[in-house]
Amino acid sequence: MDYRQNADRDKLRAEFTAWLDTLIRRAKLDYLRKMEIPVDIVSLEELGEEFLPITEDVWMRQLLLQEDDFNFEEERLANAYAQLPLLRKQILKLLFVDNLKVKEVAKKLNCPSTYVSDQKRRALAALRKKLSEGGDENG
Amino acid sequence: MDKDTFRITLQGAVAGNHDDFLRIITLYEPLINNHCYINGKFDEDLHQYILMHIALKISKFII
Repeated sequence: MDYRQNADRDKLRAEFTAWLDTLIRRAKLDYLRKMEIPVDIVSLEELGEEFLPITEDVWMRQLLLQEDDFNFEEERLANAYAQLPLLRKQILKLLFVDNLKVKEVAKKLNCPSTYVSDQKRRALAALRKKLSEGGDENG
Repeated sequence: MDKDTFRITLQGAVAGNHDDFLRIITLYEPLINNHCYINGKFDEDLHQYILMHIALKISKFII
């Protein structure tokens, strides 16, 4: 019942907020036109690359480049590592490639150090499991 | 402001009640202020223009 009431409230508020937002935008445009105030417009060519939104393929490439920080000798380990969640990969990279301490990683990721330890333990356990599964399949 | 209070206040504002209109303006102040910047500077004249525009048009909103 409460959920429905909230949904109704949200609907009316959402409608009014959208209506008001459009009204304000139109009023602003009208004001700028009347006052003939020039608005600073910068062309895309003049913008630096850091201001441009990155496309998905660029993001993916950056991600893959980041993952190259580990130099895996074993392909099986590399595959197991690739299947880990992004956060656990990042934690392992910070701990074992950048050689940071658990506390430093926690500070960097803005989370408790117990969480980092827990994620590290889970990530290593997952890697061990994947490797043992692979061993069974091959053996 | 809960669902019923908002509806009653909005109905009052749409009907021309000054106090209800002020309550709605206070509620939406961040949204209004957000639109009052021109080239990075708060424009008080634009703020007044927008408030006047809302006061004139709010009666058109259909609840």
